[in-house]
Amino acid sequence: MSSAFELNGVTCRFGDLVAIDEVSLSIEEGEQVAFIGPSGSGKTTLIRLLNTTAVPNDGSLSVLGNAIADQSVESLRVLRSRVGTMPQHLGLVENLTAIQNVILGRGGQRSTLRSIRDLLVPSRGDTEKIHQLLERVGIEEKLFTTVSKLSGGQKQRVAIARALFQEPEILLADEPVSAVDPARARDTVRLLAELSRELGFTLCVSLHHLELAKEFFPRLIGLRHGRVVFDGAPDLLKDQQLESLYELTADEMMTDA
Amino acid sequence: MNSTSGKWGRRRWIVLGIVILFFLCAKSLGLTPAGLIPPDETRWERAGAFFKAALSPAMDYQDENVPEDAPPIWLKGLYGLLLTLKFAFGGMSLAIPLALIMGFFGSSSWWPEPRGRILDLFLRGAFFGFRFLMSLLRSIHELIWALLILSAFGLSPLAGMVALALPFSGTLGKVFSELIDEESRDASTALKAIGHRPLQTFFVAMLPAALPNLITYSFYRFECALRSSAVLGFVGIETIGLYIELSHEEFYYNEVWTYFYLLLALIVLVDFWGAGLRVRLNSFKGGCEA
Repeated sequence: MSSAFELNGVTCRFGDLVAIDEVSLSIEEGEQVAFIGPSGSGKTTLIRLLNTTAVPNDGSLSVLGNAIADQSVESLRVLRSRVGTMPQHLGLVENLTAIQNVILGRGGQRSTLRSIRDLLVPSRGDTEKIHQLLERVGIEEKLFTTVSKLSGGQKQRVAIARALFQEPEILLADEPVSAVDPARARDTVRLLAELSRELGFTLCVSLHHLELAKEFFPRLIGLRHGRVVFDGAPDLLKDQQLESLYELTADEMMTDA
Repeated sequence: MNSTSGKWGRRRWIVLGIVILFFLCAKSLGLTPAGLIPPDETRWERAGAFFKAALSPAMDYQDENVPEDAPPIWLKGLYGLLLTLKFAFGGMSLAIPLALIMGFFGSSSWWPEPRGRILDLFLRGAFFGFRFLMSLLRSIHELIWALLILSAFGLSPLAGMVALALPFSGTLGKVFSELIDEESRDASTALKAIGHRPLQTFFVAMLPAALPNLITYSFYRFECALRSSAVLGFVGIETIGLYIELSHEEFYYNEVWTYFYLLLALIVLVDFWGAGLRVRLNSFKGGCEA
């Protein structure tokens, strides 16, 4: 197997803030990985590095075998069209219909003119494919419903369908359960893990929710202050490490407050 | 307690300032309450006749010289309305595409990131150029545009349309660019992350997101264009305003009121239509359940 991601001493800073601090890790194609850690630990920045919308200040990163530092603007864009990203706030166009949003999943692989045509008159083939995808995520009756009229859970399904229509080699999901209730959260995470096995794409999810990460992911990567403090199977995660992951020392509580 | 009274204190000073400014303006312009009272007997009679005519709009021409076979006055009024509508519609049809082009260049939300120096200079140049052009177009009133265009090209229907289209495209374009720039960038950020080009996200995410607001605003401007189109009659372009002006010159006040009432009816009708459209578009955006 070749690697989906290779990070070597990657550091990412925003002004004075070091969001990712000398991280080295490698994720193979086809793996299912959950990034865990408290908020502010660098999970979102790591996802943005992996989809190349943020660039490392130091160290080297390669995505699907392509060293990021060597890529032109255009080849980075093409690379992004092979990596799916589900942002925390989903990023749907609220007053377009479900099918119009899903069809945009393939926009990175199509021309601008083609994308405009897709919105106005979707091809029969695309419509059928999207209908199947919505069936798979359980909202096939919402094909022509305006997204703003959908519930939070349904919107999330549209975002998942958009990512699937892209047919990505890797899917990144940033806190996919932050906006839904616990029962829905479990369904969503299970669905993503199932789809990853079924369709064979690499899955990397950042999760605040430790129990879900342990249940569905064979590999967890724990982040704290932008550093990797744990990397391994869930049953290797010791209570002591958990404590160091999540618990704040008296010192930090002072600065947080 | 202290801060509220401080705030109220400041507001009181501002209101007082505005009142003082009003009186200063009124004084320097020579404004007195006496100006509202007609100065002599004839003016009194004329004002009285004008407002009395409001109660009895003309059902027939007041002009004796109108030939027998001329169409009835209400039909002439309706024809005037139709012309008014045509100018308003034609003006807006020219103004909207112009506004879309100018609004696009006057918006910065589709600029690619990162971009080279030359492209950056070009985009900034276009941005300020088009913003300036839009300010210029809308700082001159449509009546002034009409006078300028009429003196250059003579009286023609196209002159009226262009006179409407120029200032309206300036206002529409400015508001279009602002509506687009104010939309949330979540969707375009998400799409760029999966390989969309910045310009592509403008057309598939930002423009569709802003579209209901663009349509609502364009419709509101169409109502304004109707009024302006009527006013263009006063400089000789054939709309209902021209009929009003001609009847008014001859002191046929009952005829003037007939035209007024027809224009009012049209404005109210368009207003209702626009209100219905706004409700539909807002529910489209998803405020309330159907």
